[in-house]
Amino acid sequence: MTARRLIEIGDLRVTQPGMPLPVLDRFSLTLNAGETVVLLGDAHSGKDAVLRLLDGVPDAGEEFTARIGFNGAEAKQISRGLQPPFRVAYLPAAASQPLHPRFSAASQLTHIVARRLECPSGAAQAEFRAALTHLSGAPCFELLDCPPQRLDDISLSWALLAAASAAAPELLLCDHPFLNISPSAARMLTDALLAEQKRLGFAILYAARGPQSVMRLDARTLVLRQGRIVEENDAADLVSGQTHAYTQALFKALPQHVADKPKRSSVRGEPLLQVQGLGLNTPLRKPVRTKDALSFELRRGASLALVGEEGSGRHALMRAVLGLDRKPGRILFDAVDLSLLSQTMTARLRRRVAFITSNDDALDLRMTLWDTVDEPLRAHLQLSRDLTAGYREAALKRVGLASHDGRRTVASLSPFDRRRLMVARAIVSAPLLVVVDEPLRGLDAVAQTTMRDLLVDFRAEQQAAFLVITGDFAVAQALADDAMVFKDGRVVERGQIRALLTNPKDPATKALVEAAAIRPLSRGAAPV
Amino acid sequence: MNGLFRRALAAVGWSGLGLTALVVVLSDFLARAQAGAIHIGPALSPPSSRFLFGTDMLGRDMLSETLHALNATVVSAVPAALLAIATGALFGFVGARFPEPARFVLRWAMGVFASIPALLLAILLIGLTARGYAVAAAGLAVSPLAFVRAFDRARESTNSAHSEYARATGIAASALLKRDLAYEVRDSLLSTAARAFAAVTIILSTVSFLGFGAVPPHRDLGLTIAAAKPVYLEAWWTAAFPALVLLLIILLARLAAGLDEGERA
Repeated sequence: MTARRLIEIGDLRVTQPGMPLPVLDRFSLTLNAGETVVLLGDAHSGKDAVLRLLDGVPDAGEEFTARIGFNGAEAKQISRGLQPPFRVAYLPAAASQPLHPRFSAASQLTHIVARRLECPSGAAQAEFRAALTHLSGAPCFELLDCPPQRLDDISLSWALLAAASAAAPELLLCDHPFLNISPSAARMLTDALLAEQKRLGFAILYAARGPQSVMRLDARTLVLRQGRIVEENDAADLVSGQTHAYTQALFKALPQHVADKPKRSSVRGEPLLQVQGLGLNTPLRKPVRTKDALSFELRRGASLALVGEEGSGRHALMRAVLGLDRKPGRILFDAVDLSLLSQTMTARLRRRVAFITSNDDALDLRMTLWDTVDEPLRAHLQLSRDLTAGYREAALKRVGLASHDGRRTVASLSPFDRRRLMVARAIVSAPLLVVVDEPLRGLDAVAQTTMRDLLVDFRAEQQAAFLVITGDFAVAQALADDAMVFKDGRVVERGQIRALLTNPKDPATKALVEAAAIRPLSRGAAPV
Repeated sequence: MNGLFRRALAAVGWSGLGLTALVVVLSDFLARAQAGAIHIGPALSPPSSRFLFGTDMLGRDMLSETLHALNATVVSAVPAALLAIATGALFGFVGARFPEPARFVLRWAMGVFASIPALLLAILLIGLTARGYAVAAAGLAVSPLAFVRAFDRARESTNSAHSEYARATGIAASALLKRDLAYEVRDSLLSTAARAFAAVTIILSTVSFLGFGAVPPHRDLGLTIAAAKPVYLEAWWTAAFPALVLLLIILLARLAAGLDEGERA
């Protein structure tokens, strides 16, 4: 029996006043009841316009023409007032802060459910509570009765999923729903989404930036670029081979094989960073219990990934290493205990530390592009203007920012450019240690690939030690040789990443490895 | 209020203040009579084509008197505002980087001073020094508010992600201070100056009105308004025009400051 055709869209064209190109052009889509379709593309590919249109909230001034048919009816030419004759729910990303920051998340989501179901608030709350209990990882209703800012992104994602599911939709529009969430959490949420789809039978239209979502959903995928479909295929076929160059670029973001990666010994060189008896969960002046004490060392040119979920302790360790928080225990950099030095001496030693983070506010937004790169040179070295400009230009060229106007402020740069600027700043610092914190988070697939390649090249050329903080084993694998897996403030497993990937022992490591979906890009091949 | 509207208001404010500065510079030229010159016309003559602002009970031309008073007010307010910026805003900006507990004690003490109305503080300081120090008293009275504001902004900056990032990569505290100060001067020196100017103008005029400020025969706007007290109900123009000018320059200064917490320093 063939499934009922829920939506048929043909020749959809969306334009916005003042835009030289249409937002969407000649876009066609058929979606059956209970089916999943992924719209894959970068931020300006036009996939958001499809979601907006079907949710009935086009942008101001946005105009469209299309042939559209619902529920198997013949498609008709429509240019206004698109209202699907079935219930549609919308699942946004928690990271996009979709709720009002002041009011209770529970009451706002109840209100959304009530509006979708067109029922009284009490009945909507009962539906929402029931949906929360259906989802095993979701927090209870009472825990959601607080402003959304107090909830972490994972809890809020569960709540948003429950609210969408409670609306009992026939079509669920997923707008990058698990963006900036660790792979294992995203995997759990995706599994829950698919389970809800199976239970309730709704169709899913899923907008995604990266191919990881395609692999998780294993669904028919439309690849969009600048408002046009450039490729359409099933996930398995797309993973095994891409026709269009843009799709190939997108799929490069997927984890690569480890076989051809240059092997480096983690025990080469002198110790650069030594952590001795550090207590991540111990108050500053209390003695650290033996079982809580964390010790490790990172040698010159070596690399180590700190892998774990949010709140597992890897960030606390990173902040202690960077000198931003004090913890009981000793941290030695280049055989010097930084806690014993004056601020001036500490700053002198720390100049050999570079930091690349996914926090887009880490760079001073008021500074210009040139000033941001020059600052480490000016602060630490007495160089002539010409020499400073030479180093700066070389670094900007390496990261692909040389063509940007150097007087632009950081505030005017995109997140990807800001991250590349951090790499340029790191390059001129000639660091001994590079601390990299979730470097690919929040970037489009193509930007992820570029950023990953940039960091791999940087590491190869600079010969600096890398300390990589991530929740994604795929990132860890690309940038480091060894890893320590964190859970609840403790290291549960450590060793070479290859060994951890092939033979994880701790359940936390297993979950992270499975979530990373590290597998060869060929159909039916076993995961690495 | 959106940024564009605020910038437009600030442009109006600065243009008005520029015009005021021009009037102050040319006040001797624009005024038909010297400061304090009596019997220029009949006593208490209402505004007319001959005396645009009328005359007071000693036959002084109120237009000339208002221009001279405006000059005296602005000439006193500028150094007082500079003092408020130096002892308040600048000190607050640097003080926010002092180590604990000095930073905490400083913020707490200045918070206490800032909670006292600046006018009362100015009167207290004048009482402890002398009448001739009204300018310094006004500047110092306003400085706790300027301090608290600058301190809190600086703390926000030092606790920000970009400061952490800089510290983590070895940028020294002094370099960070220089960087923040440069951007603070570029981004908010003008609005801070305008805000301080409005605050000290109000204080200087009020203390003069109360008799603790300007010393006759040099009359500022506050003292000129005070001199009209005995006849104000019969001859409104003797106080209304100086008051209107005072109101105008305070409004312009607050517009120049972006109407952001206008009454604060």
